[in-house]
Amino acid sequence: MGDRSALLKDKHKKTAAIVILIVITVVLGFVCLFVGSSNMSLSECIYALFGNGSSAQIRIIRNIRIPRVLAAIIAGAGLSAAGLIMQTNLNNPMASPSTLGVSNAAVFGANLSIIAFAGGFLSTGNNLKNYTTGFNPYAASLMAFIFSTLSIILILGLCRLKSFRPGVVVLAGIAVGSLWTAATTILQFYATDVGLSAAVIWTFGDLGRATYKTDIIMALVIVAGIIFFMVMSWRFNALLSGEPAAKSLGVNVNRLRFVSMLLASLITAVCVSYLGMIGFVGIICPHVVKKLLGQDHRFTIPASVFAGSILLLLADTVSRSIGNGSALPVGAITSLLGAPFFLIIILFRKGDKA
Amino acid sequence: MSLDIKDLSFRYSKRAPLVLDNVSFSLNKGEIGVVLGKNGSGKTTLFKNVLGLVKPTGGSISFDGKDLSKVSRRERAGYIAYVPQNVEFGALSVFDTVLMGRMPYFGLRSGKEDEEKTYSVLNEMGLTDLASRNVEELSGGERQKAAIARAFAQEPELMVFDEPTGNLDIANEQLILNEAKRIAGEKGIGILTSLHDLNQALAIGDRFFFLKNGKLLHSGGKDIISKELIKEVFDADVSIIDHEGKMIVVNC
Repeated sequence: MGDRSALLKDKHKKTAAIVILIVITVVLGFVCLFVGSSNMSLSECIYALFGNGSSAQIRIIRNIRIPRVLAAIIAGAGLSAAGLIMQTNLNNPMASPSTLGVSNAAVFGANLSIIAFAGGFLSTGNNLKNYTTGFNPYAASLMAFIFSTLSIILILGLCRLKSFRPGVVVLAGIAVGSLWTAATTILQFYATDVGLSAAVIWTFGDLGRATYKTDIIMALVIVAGIIFFMVMSWRFNALLSGEPAAKSLGVNVNRLRFVSMLLASLITAVCVSYLGMIGFVGIICPHVVKKLLGQDHRFTIPASVFAGSILLLLADTVSRSIGNGSALPVGAITSLLGAPFFLIIILFRKGDKA
Repeated sequence: MSLDIKDLSFRYSKRAPLVLDNVSFSLNKGEIGVVLGKNGSGKTTLFKNVLGLVKPTGGSISFDGKDLSKVSRRERAGYIAYVPQNVEFGALSVFDTVLMGRMPYFGLRSGKEDEEKTYSVLNEMGLTDLASRNVEELSGGERQKAAIARAFAQEPELMVFDEPTGNLDIANEQLILNEAKRIAGEKGIGILTSLHDLNQALAIGDRFFFLKNGKLLHSGGKDIISKELIKEVFDADVSIIDHEGKMIVVNC
């Protein structure tokens, strides 16, 4: 029974990895509060955090930076967990939170709102203030969410009729996604130049759009999703053995796939609707975690959650630091930061735990 | 009787031909039943029906008198375990892979009891030393053993092995079949399996079911096996010789 201690050691190692990720998330979250374009010093930031300092400084910390940091933590966690679950569900390493075409639908919804109805959206760091602030700031997000939800219902409904076999779902996702993209292209063709640039800027991920209100809505959906995923950890583990084996272990595979893909897609829908496209978090983070910790969902789900938060926090901080006053699109930075790291992991840890 | 199949018919879609045509047989607890037939004779489809992966087109499958179409997937998992032909697991430890077999009992979170059960199965299968290893790093034979261990952890009354020896060398093939036979015998678990090698089948089987084009042509003990039967089922000419009291099938 000498192997019991080895097993225990392995569990402890994985738990420790998760604890480390949590600590990094918290520390990084605080560090990110102190980085920004307003040239506040560290001490000013700390004072402002506790309500001392000029009202402008307090406002910057409390109303701009805290919601932004929270958005990075929440959306990073959600997108990463959603990506992991899609990969397991579809038995496909290329699967991502937007495999079902959710992001394309959200982009269409937002474009429709901005181009056709001159709907507003919250934005930072662009020259379209007159465009983006004059109308209901949540119009684009609302339309994005409505269309992405419609798309989820459409695609999961179609798959429910036929089957939830991974091949079918992935191909249906590609088809539906390309429909939305086509519609977006046509819409943009008829747009005015200002409308077009506003629409394109909306598409760039921007954590600066976050407010406490949007953070709370995102958190509700994402926390519910993550709790469900965690509870179903063993069932996802069984799914790794293939559908027939999972079924013969008593797992209702169709129901598990339906509910978890619905939740993963809803998570993606709220994130994209409020923050725009933030790519790659949902692919990179789960893969890095799986490379390092194996595939046991009891560990990979929490680890992916915090890895996602960390990547998005880092990316947002970098985008604010090098953007010279206006933040660079965070979606681009997640890839710029994540892709090289990802390549190193997949190329140089070969033969290690898969 | 434990497993009882009555007039089982199956087709994959409405206009498709019958893949299983009025198949009826039964298998007692602790017996090893071997399904034999050419490729495409309906062996795998038969197993899919028994495992509940597909719904029978007609007829019934019952276990201890209980109609399996009326029990939940989880309850069925308590009766019947599956050892797939191509074993895949995902990167889990051997221990966790075998612990997975307890899922029909624990549902969401494993308990102490499930872990103890897992240790005892690992011990029986001689896998204790590999418990903390990543199951994906094991050899084909070891992985097959892990899959069988997972099935035993499920404490089923029947185990379905779909061509269990397909990916193994001769030494592993015999080792694994004998292990499975021994443990199943000790626990009174029935085994339903399919094997390509007739001599392997003769070595471990108690009852034989010969399928051809979805029909059950013959079933019974070793005594039914003859040159003529094999010619009828496989269209192959063989001789059967007696070697130290054992039947051996050889190609002509």
